[in-house]
Amino acid sequence: MTESATNDIRAAARRLLADGTVSVVIGYGDAGPNRTVPIFARTAAQADRLVVSHSALNNLTVYLTRALRPVGGRIAIVAKGCDVRALVMLMSESQIAREDVYVIGVACAGVTTSMGQPMSAETVAAKCRDCIVRTPPLYDELVGVQCEPPATSDVLDRRIAEIEAMSAHERFDYWAAELELCTRCYACRQVCPLCYCTQCIVDRSVPQWIETSASPRANLSWNLTRAFHLAGRCVGCNECERACPAGIPLSLLNRQLAATALREFGYVPGIDPAAPALVGSYDLADREEYIR
Amino acid sequence: MNEYRITQESLQAFVAALVADGLTVLAEAADGSGYARLAADDRVAIDPSRAPSRLSMKEHFFPKSEALFEYRREDGGFVLVDRLPEVRPTVILGARPCDAASIGILSKVFNWDYRDEFFNRRVDATIVIGMLCAYRDEHCFCTSVGGAPDSIAGSDLFLVPLNDGALGMRVVSDDGERFVTAYAHLFEWGAPGDPLQVDEALTLPSVRFDAEKVRGWIEGHFDDPYWSAASETCLGCARCAFACPVCHCFDIVDEDRTYGSGERMRNWDACQFGMFTKHASGHNPRAARAQRYRQRISHKFAYYPSRFGEVLCTGCGRCTRGCPVGIDIGAIAVEIGGMAS
Amino acid sequence: MTNIYRPELMVIREIIDETPDTRTLRLQFRDPEVAERFRFQSGQFAEYSVFGEGECTFCIASSPTRPEMIECSFKRFGRVTTAMRRLNVGDTIGLRGPYGNYFPLERMKGRDLVFIAGGIGLAPVRCLIWNALDLRERFGAITIIYGARSVDDLVYRRELDEWSAMSGVRTIVTVDPGGEREGWNGEVGFVPAIVEKIAPAADNAIAVVCGPPVMIRYTMPVLTALGFDDESIITTLENRMKCGLGKCGRCNIGDVYVCKDGPVFSYQQLKALPEDY
Repeated sequence: MTESATNDIRAAARRLLADGTVSVVIGYGDAGPNRTVPIFARTAAQADRLVVSHSALNNLTVYLTRALRPVGGRIAIVAKGCDVRALVMLMSESQIAREDVYVIGVACAGVTTSMGQPMSAETVAAKCRDCIVRTPPLYDELVGVQCEPPATSDVLDRRIAEIEAMSAHERFDYWAAELELCTRCYACRQVCPLCYCTQCIVDRSVPQWIETSASPRANLSWNLTRAFHLAGRCVGCNECERACPAGIPLSLLNRQLAATALREFGYVPGIDPAAPALVGSYDLADREEYIR
Repeated sequence: MNEYRITQESLQAFVAALVADGLTVLAEAADGSGYARLAADDRVAIDPSRAPSRLSMKEHFFPKSEALFEYRREDGGFVLVDRLPEVRPTVILGARPCDAASIGILSKVFNWDYRDEFFNRRVDATIVIGMLCAYRDEHCFCTSVGGAPDSIAGSDLFLVPLNDGALGMRVVSDDGERFVTAYAHLFEWGAPGDPLQVDEALTLPSVRFDAEKVRGWIEGHFDDPYWSAASETCLGCARCAFACPVCHCFDIVDEDRTYGSGERMRNWDACQFGMFTKHASGHNPRAARAQRYRQRISHKFAYYPSRFGEVLCTGCGRCTRGCPVGIDIGAIAVEIGGMAS
Repeated sequence: MTNIYRPELMVIREIIDETPDTRTLRLQFRDPEVAERFRFQSGQFAEYSVFGEGECTFCIASSPTRPEMIECSFKRFGRVTTAMRRLNVGDTIGLRGPYGNYFPLERMKGRDLVFIAGGIGLAPVRCLIWNALDLRERFGAITIIYGARSVDDLVYRRELDEWSAMSGVRTIVTVDPGGEREGWNGEVGFVPAIVEKIAPAADNAIAVVCGPPVMIRYTMPVLTALGFDDESIITTLENRMKCGLGKCGRCNIGDVYVCKDGPVFSYQQLKALPEDY
C-alpha cells in the first residue's frame, strides 16, 4: 500500500461525497505514526484525513451492521479483502443490501498485528499468511497495489497442529486455562461484524443460558458458544484477538473453524455472496447420517 | 527519609523470602498482560521504563468475579453462609503510581456510609511497593489528574532507580515501615547515592488539560452534540472500563451450583453496556451509545469529583491504548478543556 | 466484619393478588431479634431476594407504624419477579435494607396532604398514607387521587374502599378513558386531568406524587399551576438499582445516587437533575 493509494482513497471519497453518491465514507484516519482509527468522513476536509497503510487494522464492516450503521443515505466503506469477506457474509445473511453500500476495495499488502508498529516480518499479522483475498472478492472501485506482505511464520498452523495432537482432556485443559483469563468485556463480540444479534445469548436472563460471572465455567461457556455461533461464518479477520485485553489466542479458534468448514464441506465463508450459508443449508452428500 | 539500597541479587532474595514466608507476590508480567503472581525462582525485573500492562492491578482488590455469600436450600427455607475473603498477605512489587493511586480513589466509593469489607480486607492485607515511572507516551496524562510519575500516593514503600543500576527503596507508610523490618537484613541501609539522573525518569509529563475546567464544561453541557461526535466510532465494549484502574461499576447475580444452592456473585459491569440502565419496564434512559459515552466521561471528570473530591481517572492511558477503535480519553479531555475556554 | 451485601431471611405469611399481574407479599423476619431491631421510614426501599434468581428493588409498602408485617408489592417484569410469583406462603425470601432517604414527615406536619398516584406507583405512597392516617392528628386534610389504566389494574382496592369511607379523607379513584366498565362509578380520565379537575388547594399543602414517568411529567405542571411551589411537591423516583448501597454505579443521575440521595426527591431537586432517568 503506497502513498498513491492514500491519494486515490481521498480523491474517491471527495468525489463520492461531492456528487452525492454517498452521505458518508467509513475509512481509516491517520492517528499518528503507524496508527489509524476508524473515521466517518462526511466532508471534503474529513476525506483528506483518510489513509491506507499497513496500520489499517480495523474491520470497518462492523459499522455496516444495523446497530452501528450511520443513518441517512448510502454508505461508502474502505475495505481490505478480509473486511469485504465479512461484508459478503452480511449480505448473504440479509443484514445489508448490496446497493446500500459502495465498496472502495483495497488491494492489500498486509497489515501489522497491532497499532504503532512499522511493517516487517516480525510485525506482520499472522492472518496475512496465505491470504486468499489480497484483491477483495467484491468492490465498486479498487485502490492500492496488490503485493505479497513480508513472509509471516506459520506459528498459527503449528500451534493448531499442537492442539489437534492433544488428547481431548489436554485440549480441554488448554482452553480452560486460556479462557480463565477472560474478563467478559465482550470486546470480541463488539468488534466482530458477524456478532450482530439484537439480543446476544449471554444477555438473556430468562433463561440464563450462560452465566455472566468471569468464572472458569462461565468463560468456557461464553467463548465456546460464540465460537460455535461463528462456525462456518467467521472470515478470520482476527479483530477479536486484537481487541481482547486478556491476550486470549482467539485466532486459533477462528482458523480451526475455517479449516473445518473447508475440509468437511469445501466451504469458504465470505467469497461468494450468492453461496448459501453453510449452517443454514444441507446437502444430500453431507457426511452426517442423522440429517437424512 | 528512610532509604534502603537494593541490588538485583537482593531483590531476587527478597522475592524468594516473601514467597517462602507464604506471601503472594504480584508484579507486572513481562508479557504485558497485567499484575501476575511471581514464583520464588521467577526472574524479577523492576523496569521503570516498561509500558503499562493491558490490565491494571484493580483485580487484586476488586476481582472481576467474586462470591458475596452462599445460599443453601435447607429445611424448606434457606441458610446463608458468608464468604468474606480470606486474603493471603500480598506484596505488589513495582506498582506504577497511576495504579497505586487507584486504591485511595476506590476507597472513597467502597467506604462511604457502608464499608465494603471485600475491598477493605484485600487492601489491608496488601503492601504496595510503588515504583518511579519512566514510561511516557502520547496517551499518559497522570499530571493532568493530580498524579505524577514519582507520586507515592497509595504506596507503602517506593522504589527509585539509582545511577549504578541498583534500586533505592523509601519507606512511605507506617505499614510499610513495619513490613520491611522483617526483610531489612537483605538490604543495605542509608543514603545510597543519587537517583538516576535520566531525563525521562524525572521529567514530568506536561499537563495536557485543566481538570477543573473540564468538569465545569461537562456540568453545563449535558445536551451538547459533542458527545455524539466523540463517541461515533465507539463499539460499546467494556474494554476501557475493565482495563481502567478505577472503574468500579458492578453487577450482582445469583448462580446455582447445585439444585437450589449456589452463590451470589459480584461481577464487573460497565456503563458502556447497552443494558446497564435498562429498567424492568423496558425504559432505558441511556439507550443511545452517545448517552452512555457521555456518562463515562462525565462520571470520571465531573460526577465523581463532585461527590468524592477525586477525579475517577489516574491518567494511565490503558483505555486508549487498548481501545479497538482508538478512542482517546486524554484527547477528549483536552478538547473539552479547549471548549471550556 | 459485616457483610453489607448479605440479606436477612424473611418468610412469606400471606399473598394477595391485587391485579392479574400485581401481587403483594406480607413478610415476617425469620429471626424475631432481627424483627425487633428493624426500623424504617416511609419512602425507603429494600432489595428483596429470591435465592437462585437474584434481587430486585421495591419500596417497603407497609407503614412503619404497622411493623408486624413488612409488605412489598410488585408487578411481574422479568426473571426475579417471575420467580417471586412462583413462591408460596411459608417460603423464604431475603431482604436487605432499609435503604435510601424517606418522605419528610416532619415538614408535612400540620399541613394538608395531597397524595397522587398512578398504577403500581401507589405502593410507596400507600406506605405514607397509612403512616399519616395512623398519626392522623398531626396532619390536616387528606386528599387521595389515584388512577390506573383500567378497573382491573387498580391496586389496594380494599384500602381504597377503606379510605373512601373515612371522614377527613377525600378519595378520588379514576381509570383511563376506555378503562371503565359497567357499574363503575368512579372518575374516568388520566390522573393529571383529574388532578386539574379536583384542583386541590395548594395553601399549606404538600403534594406527594408517584407513578409512571409520563404521569409525573404531566402532573407536575398541573400542581404548579394550582399554586404548589417546587419544595411542596414530593416524588419518589424509580430507577434501575442494584446494590442499594451507593457503590455499584447503576442508579447514578449526575452526581446523585438515587439509592442514597433518593428515592424521595422534591420537584425542586428533580428539576436540578440531568435528564438521565
